[in-house]
Amino acid sequence: MTTNSNDFELREAPETQLSILGKIWQDRMGRIGLLMTVSVFTISIIGPMIWPFDPAAVGADASSILQPPNSQNWLGTDELGRDVFSQFLQGSRVSLLVGVTATIIATVIGAGIGISSGYFMGRLDTVLMAITDFFLVVPSLPLMIAMGSIFGQNLTVIILIIGVLSWPRNARIIRSQTLSLRERKFVPRAKSLGATDLRIIRKHMIPHVLPLVVANTILVVAGAILAEATLAFIGLGDPDRISWGSMLHFAFASGAIGRGAWWYFMPPGLGILAIVLAFTLLGHSFDRINNPRLRDAA
Amino acid sequence: MGYLPRKSLQVLGSIFAVTTFNFFLFHIIPGDPLRLIARTQKLDAEQVAALRIEYGLDGSLFSQYLTYIGNLLHGDLGYSFALHEQVSTALMRALGHTALLLATSTVIVVLFGIFLGVFAGSRQGSKADSRTIIGALVFWSMPTFWVGMLLVFTFGVWWGVLPISGITTPNAVYETYFSYLMDIARHLVLPTLTLALVDIAFFVLITRTSLVEVMSEDFMLTARGKGLPRRTLVWRHGVRNALLPVMTASALYISGLVGGAIQVEVVYSWPGMGLLMYNSVLARDYAVLEAAFLVSSVVVILANFATDVLYRRLDPRVVVAQ
Amino acid sequence: MNLLEVKNLSVQYGSGQGGVLAVDGVDLSVGVGEFVGLAGESGCGKTTLAMAIPNLLPKYASITTGTIEFEGQDLSNKSESELNEVRWRDISVIFQGALNALNPVATIGNQIAEPILIHEPGTSHDAAITRAKELLEAVGISASRSSSYSHEFSGGMRQRVMIAMALACRPKLVIADEPITALDVMTQAQILELLRSLSETFNLSMLLISHDLSVLAETCDRVQIMYAGKVAEVGTADDVFGEQNSAHPYTQRLLKSYPNIHQERKFIDGIPGYPPDLSKSHAGCRFAERCTVSVEKCFTDEPELAVISELHRSACHLVGGSK
Ligand SMILES: Nc1ncnc2c1ncn2[C@@H]1O[C@H](COP(=O)(O)OP(=O)(O)OP(=O)(O)O)[C@@H](O)[C@H]1O
Ligand SMILES: [Mg+2]
Repeated sequence: MTTNSNDFELREAPETQLSILGKIWQDRMGRIGLLMTVSVFTISIIGPMIWPFDPAAVGADASSILQPPNSQNWLGTDELGRDVFSQFLQGSRVSLLVGVTATIIATVIGAGIGISSGYFMGRLDTVLMAITDFFLVVPSLPLMIAMGSIFGQNLTVIILIIGVLSWPRNARIIRSQTLSLRERKFVPRAKSLGATDLRIIRKHMIPHVLPLVVANTILVVAGAILAEATLAFIGLGDPDRISWGSMLHFAFASGAIGRGAWWYFMPPGLGILAIVLAFTLLGHSFDRINNPRLRDAA
Repeated sequence: MGYLPRKSLQVLGSIFAVTTFNFFLFHIIPGDPLRLIARTQKLDAEQVAALRIEYGLDGSLFSQYLTYIGNLLHGDLGYSFALHEQVSTALMRALGHTALLLATSTVIVVLFGIFLGVFAGSRQGSKADSRTIIGALVFWSMPTFWVGMLLVFTFGVWWGVLPISGITTPNAVYETYFSYLMDIARHLVLPTLTLALVDIAFFVLITRTSLVEVMSEDFMLTARGKGLPRRTLVWRHGVRNALLPVMTASALYISGLVGGAIQVEVVYSWPGMGLLMYNSVLARDYAVLEAAFLVSSVVVILANFATDVLYRRLDPRVVVAQ
Repeated sequence: MNLLEVKNLSVQYGSGQGGVLAVDGVDLSVGVGEFVGLAGESGCGKTTLAMAIPNLLPKYASITTGTIEFEGQDLSNKSESELNEVRWRDISVIFQGALNALNPVATIGNQIAEPILIHEPGTSHDAAITRAKELLEAVGISASRSSSYSHEFSGGMRQRVMIAMALACRPKLVIADEPITALDVMTQAQILELLRSLSETFNLSMLLISHDLSVLAETCDRVQIMYAGKVAEVGTADDVFGEQNSAHPYTQRLLKSYPNIHQERKFIDGIPGYPPDLSKSHAGCRFAERCTVSVEKCFTDEPELAVISELHRSACHLVGGSK
């Protein structure tokens, strides 16, 4: 009982990836989320390699347009006679790519701002948090639309826009974690031993803070995938890339709904639902298992 | 300084920040904004020159900024060449339609969301509880526009029971004012339902978590000890306390509202702000986009301010400095 | 007939392997108008026993054996809605840690009036508030504060509000779980005095839980000492606390570890060691390991509550009946 909890904190190694996965596996929600994530990733990597049709190959004549599922085209064809199933497989890649890369950007910015804000405090903190709050309040879809239509429509720009607009919550959470870490004794002690700020941040702050934001980071992936799909649906997707969102854009624009072409607009929607739900379940399960302190943090 | 003056200053500050941000966002596009306009619209040199002076485009970026602020203060949001009218006129018309949509869906989302959240939270750990959570997470994970497409397909195309486009039936002749309202109401059903299905999850999950937390507080044991019937216990003591954190969290819902409206309005051709923005994207009508983004940000800032004020009135622990 | 007669009560938290048997075959009686004190080290099951009476235990706790007779009716197998009739109207509780026992968003006047409105359906809201104000006056808080909220009161005042609330329906039994622990000495004395005088005015019985043996000695007619979920000793305050009378080594050690209010404060002589783990089963006397006078038998046979005198019982092989 008398051991110094600060010393303990200092020595305590962040959880290894393996034991976290093990705990998630024991949680029902987490297990479902994990299985779904793995399946979608597998499909998106392997799928386009083995499915024989070119997603961009248009049909030969009018008879191949908006055909319901058949033995050739498992999910039918679109308004130009292209194979929906191969578009579906190909489209998963953009969703995942945007989801993951935008999250990496958001996490780097969020961690940078959150840690500097919490560690240096003072005026820097005030300014950085004012900026963070500004981006928390500003409605993000209109901003993404505005930026998307200004900066053009290619995948890199889309990833940058989504990444750059998804960091504020991460920054808030990381800042409060950093603040509470800073309160502990080892920071002044390390300082008195001559450690530089940079070293303290690298050695003590980052390794302790990052595991705590994993849950939120996973939820950022879900949000980023939804954001990409929505932008693409609005017509701001990369015109050279098929994504689930752009499939839905063309399904909608070509009147597939009115013509009852459910095979065209169901699969991409279900795909988005599956991957977003997978990450949402993972995030919630993380929250519950790994990180009870943050359970209800906004 | 009292709370209200301080908070009002903050709100003014946020609005100023958003305006500035907006201006620079739309003016870092390389090149002359007028060239963008001229690319899609046929303008003669004289018109271009006139506009150049009106919007101060002949001066430096900073003097353009001052002109912009000056115009804003006069309610001048610019002119749309795609719509051939003042941006503010188009926005005002759209704003009312969006307000109707969002107000209806917010009422539904808040009422049903809280009710379901209480239903689940007061049965923590039960089957009903975990089913409610899973259901909420599933709907939360659906793209709003896709839910809209599904509803259009189901109710509009397949069953054909509800209108799926616009706010009124085109070319309809109304006998009475009431039948006109009924027509609007019928058109409102699916867009509202779409927004509600997705957004309700937010309130369900937050209310549930908050109530579960409150249920384990000491004063809930006191209330149980008093011999209160279960319903009184949950609603009078539990929910009243649980709703305060829900109110704080609703800022997140508010800032997501505009995004939802855009998607739903596109799917249902609902003539509001969202559809206006969508059409502006297609037409590259930056004047409207710029103004629409500004207006939606200001509305969100004001809505958050209103929630904050309301919160302080409802929580006795907050000492209101008068 | 006694007002409250608890027989052979066992309460378990959780179930199976990790289950904690917090109360194990305990008897407890409270007569009409009687003050009964309950003492023992932290974790010995006092709160659990007290909360079991109006069944305010958490969901995962269960009464595994025994009966709780209140005015001749067994409460232990009543449904929640049947219990609601008894709660507060007949049995009210001053909760341990009452600082958070008040709802932060309701005025204290309304909170005191609430049980009146529930249990006396004919009462108008105004009449209930009037009574709430009288009760506040009775505990020394100005009636004008009835529209205040709990955060506007100090700890001691909240404790008084809690007492006023406990008396709202003129209950027959008040369970006071450490009503004074969190308070300073002056306030403690005031509140005890208040409880004593109110009990006379309202003619109520009380189950008073406290760590402060001198308080129990002064306030209570009878005292029951618990150890690790079992009754160690029970008797009149004089039986249990009198210089030569304590019949259980645990009580004797307990008495030594509290300063006597009549003497100079002396160095507090604690009991070495910790109470046993209640999630495991035990052979013999649970106190044997920490007892300075234990003999071999103490580790193998569990002592029964043996009669020492008319009201005095002790569960020890060495002292009392089976010496
Ligand atoms: N809610 C609970 N869940 C699980 N175990 C509990 C719970 N409450 C009490 N216990 C366990 O039951 C035993 C008795 O606890 P109880 O609160 O009745 O003790 P107490 O005598 O009132 O202690 P104190 O003097 O500290 O208030 C303890 O071992 C405790 O760990
Ligand atoms: Mg206790």
